[in-house]
Amino acid sequence: MKSLIFFFCLISYGFSNDFDYKLKPIKLAENSYYFYGKEEYFSKENGGDIANSSFIITNNSVILIDTGSSKLYGEQVKKQIEKITDKPIKYILNTHHHPDHFLGNSAFSNSDIYASEFTKNEIETNGDLYIVNLVNIIHEAMNKTKVKAPNQILTTKDLNFDGYKLKVLYFDGHTQSDIAIYDENTKILYASDLVFYKRTLATPHANLDKWIKSLKELEKINYSILVPGHGISFTTKEPIKENIAYLEFLQNTLKNSAKEGLDIYEILNKPIPKEFESFTMFSEEFERSVINLYPSYEKDLK
Amino acid sequence: MKYIFFLLVSFILIQNTYAKNPVESPTFDDILKEIIKDEKYIFDDMNIKIKVPLFADNPIQVPIFVDAKAIKNAKKLIIFTDLNPIPKVIDMDLLNLLPIVSLNIKVAQETPIRALVLDDKGVWHIGSNNIKSFGGGCSVSSVASSDTDFGKLLGKTKGNIFKTDGVYRLKTSIFHPMETGLVFGNSEFYINRITIKADNQILAKIDAYSSISENPRFIFETLVESKDYKIEFFDIDGNKFNMDIK
Repeated sequence: MKSLIFFFCLISYGFSNDFDYKLKPIKLAENSYYFYGKEEYFSKENGGDIANSSFIITNNSVILIDTGSSKLYGEQVKKQIEKITDKPIKYILNTHHHPDHFLGNSAFSNSDIYASEFTKNEIETNGDLYIVNLVNIIHEAMNKTKVKAPNQILTTKDLNFDGYKLKVLYFDGHTQSDIAIYDENTKILYASDLVFYKRTLATPHANLDKWIKSLKELEKINYSILVPGHGISFTTKEPIKENIAYLEFLQNTLKNSAKEGLDIYEILNKPIPKEFESFTMFSEEFERSVINLYPSYEKDLK
Repeated sequence: MKYIFFLLVSFILIQNTYAKNPVESPTFDDILKEIIKDEKYIFDDMNIKIKVPLFADNPIQVPIFVDAKAIKNAKKLIIFTDLNPIPKVIDMDLLNLLPIVSLNIKVAQETPIRALVLDDKGVWHIGSNNIKSFGGGCSVSSVASSDTDFGKLLGKTKGNIFKTDGVYRLKTSIFHPMETGLVFGNSEFYINRITIKADNQILAKIDAYSSISENPRFIFETLVESKDYKIEFFDIDGNKFNMDIK
């Protein structure tokens, strides 16, 4: 009998609680932190916690870069930040329009949300579609998630948030508009999805030529730490070189395969260089990239 | 006695390997019967490879690749999906084509996919696989038909030929909405017949269905060499589109 009561308590406990992301901020420098997202695809088990988001505590407020995949994630980010500081999260930046980077916006009612015009428009037009797709995969953790589009459009290269200065770098390639944030005070570069670390690059809206160009620009920056969109933060230039090498490999594979008249699955059967095969999520992301991008390379033929 | 026992065991083993449907589904038997009536068939995943994505993110463009070249002198190649509202995908009278095809299809939901290949002894070989997807691909109207340049582009074709080890690979695509008619307000409009010729020799006669994705693309292969491959596409409105691949 006792065990039965215990069992029911446990069950009701399980139902009454929201999905727990078990977030822990990782310290990058004094007042600068990031949340590490799992190197996985969206799933019920990870609740969509698959991308990094970062925050900077300034004298008067907190600046948050990207908000994750769900309202719940956003709320739990907020709770974690409140454990460290009582300053309000006044400023939010959405680096690009992918759902794992902006769907947490709805957890923040009193913040100004900044994004490029393109990103803002994409969020407004396709946000609901992203939610429908993610509800199918993630289920409960998506509860109450709504589209909250940015209310401020980024146009300038310099931001001044209550006296705290940040550089905004406008790039493209991963999507049609990717911004990176450079904090000269700490020399931390928040590169978001322009850079992946040891995790296969995701290309659903990519333009490989432009992306490679953007990476070459990022490589020139004299950062002390780079926070990628996926994968852990790092201090050297190697990972950017690795990203460029992967994109060039992908591009050459697609070009040569189109010339040989190969089918998608014949490309997927080809041997893969060892350095890339060890990236996390390789087979899924590589297959996705080939399926998405190959038709545009086939078009170049007569 | 031992000998009989051995024979019995091996017989049962063989029966099992061939009899078992590798991907179960409630509609398979009915659809199969409609297509091949009471003719003999075996499940043969060994000789028929069907390639599908690990997960089909885009249900209106799911690339598939069927390779049954291991079956010599194949006469027919038919592809169908068990759980689509329009199960049949393509029905190829091979004549002078090899039993290999690549194309994109739509899926309404997760579904098994089959390739039936008729060999020269009159036995159907059935290859199976499963397409994982959230679906929805059959109930969306085509992007092409909402294009304002639709009229100008309709029937526009592209083609290429690749030769490797004596095999001629024809790669072709055509601009066509391949409308299923399942969306309210849109009537059926799709390519239903394709003829492939080498000069004037017919290589294959093909029936196509609207479960093929819009702006269809195909890979076909033949051993017949030609300076002028001709492909004719016919749609259900009586339009005929000709192309030459040289």
